[in-house]
Amino acid sequence: MSLNRKLLGVSAFAAMSALSGMANAEVCDTPSALGDLGNFAGEVITIAGSMEGKDEEMLLNTVSCFEKATGAVVKYSGSRDFAALIVADLRSNNAPNIAIFPQPGLAADMAKEGHLTPLGDDLANWMANNYGAGPSWVDLGTYADANGKEDFYGFAFKMDLKSLVWYSPEQFEDNGYEIPSTMEELIALSDQMVADGNTPWCIGVESGNATGWTATDWMEDLMLRTTSPENYDRWVSNDLPFNSPEVLNAMEVYGQFSRNDDYVAGGASSVATTFFGDAPKGLFSSPASCLMHRQASFIPAFFPKKGEEVANGEADFFYFPPYASKELGNPVLGAGTLWTMTKDSPVTRAFFEFMSEASAHEAWMSQGTFLTAHKAADLSAYATPALRKQGEILSNATTFRFDASDLMPGAIGAGAFWSEMTAFANGQDAQTTADNIQAAWDAIK
Amino acid sequence: MITRTFSHLVLALIVFIWVVPFVALVSTSLRSETEAKTSGFWTAFTPTVLGHRFSTHDRGTTAEFVDMSGNIFERLNGEKSGFPVSGEVQSILIKTRIADPENPSKTKLIRKLVPAGEPLEVRGGSFVYQSNGDFTWTFPEATAPKPKKLDAFINQDPVFGADAYIEVLFDNKKVPNALISSFIVTIPATIIPITIAAFAAYAFAWMTFPGRDWLFVLVVSLMVVPTQLAFLPILQGFSGIASWATALNAWLTDCEINDSCQVASKSFASLWITHTAFGLPLAIYLLRNYIVGLPKELLQSARIDGASHLQIFTRLIIPLSVPALASFSIFQFLWVWNDLIVALYIGPNNSSDLVFPIRLQKQLGTFKDQLHLLNASAVISMIVPVIVFLSMQRYFIRGLLAGSVKGG
Repeated sequence: MSLNRKLLGVSAFAAMSALSGMANAEVCDTPSALGDLGNFAGEVITIAGSMEGKDEEMLLNTVSCFEKATGAVVKYSGSRDFAALIVADLRSNNAPNIAIFPQPGLAADMAKEGHLTPLGDDLANWMANNYGAGPSWVDLGTYADANGKEDFYGFAFKMDLKSLVWYSPEQFEDNGYEIPSTMEELIALSDQMVADGNTPWCIGVESGNATGWTATDWMEDLMLRTTSPENYDRWVSNDLPFNSPEVLNAMEVYGQFSRNDDYVAGGASSVATTFFGDAPKGLFSSPASCLMHRQASFIPAFFPKKGEEVANGEADFFYFPPYASKELGNPVLGAGTLWTMTKDSPVTRAFFEFMSEASAHEAWMSQGTFLTAHKAADLSAYATPALRKQGEILSNATTFRFDASDLMPGAIGAGAFWSEMTAFANGQDAQTTADNIQAAWDAIK
Repeated sequence: MITRTFSHLVLALIVFIWVVPFVALVSTSLRSETEAKTSGFWTAFTPTVLGHRFSTHDRGTTAEFVDMSGNIFERLNGEKSGFPVSGEVQSILIKTRIADPENPSKTKLIRKLVPAGEPLEVRGGSFVYQSNGDFTWTFPEATAPKPKKLDAFINQDPVFGADAYIEVLFDNKKVPNALISSFIVTIPATIIPITIAAFAAYAFAWMTFPGRDWLFVLVVSLMVVPTQLAFLPILQGFSGIASWATALNAWLTDCEINDSCQVASKSFASLWITHTAFGLPLAIYLLRNYIVGLPKELLQSARIDGASHLQIFTRLIIPLSVPALASFSIFQFLWVWNDLIVALYIGPNNSSDLVFPIRLQKQLGTFKDQLHLLNASAVISMIVPVIVFLSMQRYFIRGLLAGSVKGG
C-alpha cells in the first residue's frame, strides 16, 4: 500500500511538472473513494475564477474527476481581471454557475447585491464540523444579503498558508547560518547576514493593479506577532483604528525589514517596483542576491524551476517565528479561495457536494500548491513532504487568523491598504500611511 | 539643404525610437528565460559575464572516490534543455566562515573569487578548474561527498534559440487556435462597419433629406462615447437577446432550456455587433468627408444619364473611394485585432474561443511569470498587423489625407 502511494505521488508530481494535464486518471485515483454524486450526463456547469496557467491546469484536472463521476461538463474561464469581469457579468445577468472569489470582500459585496445563492445550513454545519478551525471558515463565507439576513455563501476550497520564510538550505550551510526559532533570532540572523556582507531579504510588492498586497501580508503577520489576536480582530473590524499605536508599531517593525537598504536586495527603493513573483528568484540567482523570502505557500510556483526546488531540497521554508518575549503563542496567517454559487442548478449543487468529498481535496493535493483544512483528507496525498509540513502547520496552529486585507471592506483591503503600503515602501512615513488608510475607512463608514 | 538634413535627422531619431523596443522584444524572445530576466537585451549580442550555479555531481550518487573530474559546462547544460552555456570560466565564488581575528567570540565570513587553476577547498577536497570548464576534485582518501553547488562567473558567448516560439506554437494548440479566433472576430468586424458606413456616408454626402446635418453631427458626436462606459448596458442587452433566442430555440427544437439549446450571450456575434457599433461613427465621418470631396460634375452627369442612387454608389462612389475604404479598414482591423477589453467583457469566454490578446494576457500565468512566452507570442501577434499594414500602406497614406483636402 505504501509503495503504491509513493508511486502515485511520483506520477502526480510528473503530471504537475509536465503541465499538460495528462495523467488525469492518477489525479482522480485518490486514497479516499468518491461517493455517489448522481448522474448529470451532458449538463454544463460554468465556473469563473482568477486562476490561470498552472493553477488552471490543476483546477481542470481536479474537476475532471467530477466530470468522470457524473458525466457533466465543466467549463472554466479564468482571467486575471476576474474581479472586474464578474461584477459586470453578475450585474448584466450573465452569471456563471460558480464564481471563485479570491477575496471575501468582493464576495460579500456581491451577496449584498443579491447575486449569490445561499449554499444552505447543511453545508455550513458540515464545514464547521469537518474543517480544521471549521467555524472560522464558515464565518469567512457568511455574508449579509440586501435585507441584512446572514447566510452561508462561500465554500473555502484551496487554502494558502502565509507565515512562511523561504530559504535555500545550501546557502545557509555555505554561510554557516542556523534556522531561527524566535523573531529575536531572526532579526539577529538578518544583522549577522548584513555583517557578513550578504543581503538577508528579497521583498517585492509589485503586482499590477493589486500592487501592495505582499506588504499587507507582512503587516498582518507582524500584527499577530506584536499584539494579541483579539486586537487583530478589532483591527479587522476597525474597532482598533489604523493609526492606533498597536498598528503603527507593526508597521514600524515591517519598516525595519523593508525600508532598510542593508536588509533588502536591491535596496529599499526596489521593494515597490519588484514583481512579487520575481522576488524569490533572488534566492536561486548566482550569486544569491538574498537569503530569505517571506511569502505564502503558493510561491514555489514562481521559483525558477517552478517548485521542483522544494522537492529536490534546493529550497525549504521555516515558520515565520513569533517574538519569544511577547508570549503570543504560534500565530498562523492564512487565506483561501471562496467558491460561491451564482446561478443555481441541480448539477451545481452536486458540484458543491463533490467539493465536500475528501477525494476532491486529495485530487488537488496530489498535484501540488494546494492546502486543505478538510480533516478527513488523507495527508499522504500531498505531492511533497513540504506541502505535508505546511498542511500540518495549518491544522496545528494555536492561533489561526485570516488575511486581514481579505476581510476588510474592498475599498480598504483591496484599495487604500494596498496603495498606502506601496506609498510606505516608496518612503512615506508610517504615521501618514496609517492616517491615510484610516481616513479612507472613515470615508466609507 | 539644412532643413532637409534636419528633417532626415528627426526622421532617423523617430525610426530609432520605434525600432529599439521592437529589437528588444525580438531579441528577448530569442534568449533563455534566465538570461532574459537577469540582463538587459543590449547585452545579448556580446559576451557577458554572468553567474551560474552548478552542482559538482548528481544528487543521490553514493559511490566513493578519491578524485573526480568533470566539466562545468557539461554540468550546467546537462540540467536543462536548450540555450547551452559556453564561453570561459572567469572565477568561482567561495565562502568560508573563520574565527574573527579581531573579536575572538565572533566568526567572520570570508568570500573569495578563485581564478582558474588555483585550488579551492570544497567539502574537505581540493577542487581545481580550468577556464574551459574542466575540473578535478581530489580527496586525501576515498569518500562519497554530498554534491556541492558553486557559483561560477562565466564570460559567456551570446546564445539564441527559438525555444519560446516552439513552446508557444506547438506545445499546446492554444496560440494557433487564438489566432484563428482573432481572424473570426476581426474580419467581419472590419467588413460590416465599412459596408454600412459607405452607404451612410454616401447618403450624408449626396442625398438631401430633412435634418441631414443634425443627424451627421449626432453621428460624429457619438465618437466621444467611451466603450468602457457602455459595457454594462451592452451586456444586459445581449443577455436579453440571448434569453429570447434561447426561448425561441427551445420552442422550435423542443429541447429543454438550460440544456443544449442555450444561446450564449457572449459570442463572436456580440463582438461583431459591438465593434461595428463603436467603429461606425469614425467610419462614417471619414468616408463622408472623402466622398463629399469627389467632383460634383461626375455625379451630376451620372444623374443626367439616368443613374439611380444605387447605381451611382456602386459604379462610381465605391471605385473612387478605395483609398478611404482601405485606410479605414486598416484602422478598424488594427483596433479590433489589438482589442483586449471589449473581447474580455463581451466576447466568448470558453477557453477554445479566446482571441489572441486574451491568450497573450493569459500567457503571463496567474501572476505573470512566464515573460519569455509572452515575448514570443507578442512577436507572433505583431506579424499579422504588419502584413496588413505593409500590403495596404499606399492607400493608408492617401486615406490619411482624406477630408483634409477640399474638393470642388
